[in-house]
Amino acid sequence: MSNDLDESLRAALRPVDPGEDLTRKVLAAVEQDSSRPPRGPLPPPGHPGWRWPSAVLAIALLVGLATAYHWQLRRQERGLEARRQLIEALQVTSEKLDLAYRVVNEQEHTENGS
Amino acid sequence: MSQPSDTSEELLSRALAGEAPAFGELVRAQQRSVYSLALRMLGNRQKAEDLAQEVFLQLHRNLAAIESAAHLGFWLRRVTANRAIDRLRREPRAQMLPLEAADGVADEAEGADPLLMRQLRVLVGELPPTPRAVVLLRYQEDLDPTDIARALSMSIHTVKSHLKRSLAALRKGIDAAAQDEVGSST
Repeated sequence: MSNDLDESLRAALRPVDPGEDLTRKVLAAVEQDSSRPPRGPLPPPGHPGWRWPSAVLAIALLVGLATAYHWQLRRQERGLEARRQLIEALQVTSEKLDLAYRVVNEQEHTENGS
Repeated sequence: MSQPSDTSEELLSRALAGEAPAFGELVRAQQRSVYSLALRMLGNRQKAEDLAQEVFLQLHRNLAAIESAAHLGFWLRRVTANRAIDRLRREPRAQMLPLEAADGVADEAEGADPLLMRQLRVLVGELPPTPRAVVLLRYQEDLDPTDIARALSMSIHTVKSHLKRSLAALRKGIDAAAQDEVGSST
């Protein structure tokens, strides 16, 4: 049964001839394609065709580096400002504590004296 | 597809040397196979012609990469089958081909049952794209499973599995058609 089916399939699927019309169409398409300017490989390094892409790439790189540098500078400035504010706050707190300590000490001396 | 011969090798070298008439002869020698594969994959004469044209155009652009007449035949089958599968995946509605699969797409073999032949072509046309390509490459193009696996970039196990399942589906379809025939005649 399997061989019968194999043979029947081979008979049913015999290739068909498309006719000379297809050959003519194919050859016309090939001729038309051949007359177009060839799409060659990429130009070699140093070729004028690379000037624009190279310039755009260089500008993009410079802009990127400048942005990164600026961002880093801003980050450093913010850090220094935060540090300055913290030291100032600590100084104020220290002065307040010192004042409170002195007030308490003076009160103790007054009470002991009397 | 015709077997590679000295003539095919000679035609190929002349086409490679840029002789347009030799390329024309190559097209004539191979178009039967390329067109039939495209037709039975796509189920439409116009689409099959378009696909065959694209395949031969691609061949002309890549002729320098063809190493021998045998390689040429394999290359054409591989490109045609894969392009047809891609096209069917892009246009799922075109996956069924009731009309073309049935009528006028084969010179019937002598002594063959025309009804069975027609039924088989319809059933092959109803297979999903990849199994359909596997069956056509096996039974129309006479490729062995190893070459089909290479052509469709799949494992030989997958090819055998597609063949087994497709043959079972075809057998089932033929049996169902025979039952219908018996039912309608009684």
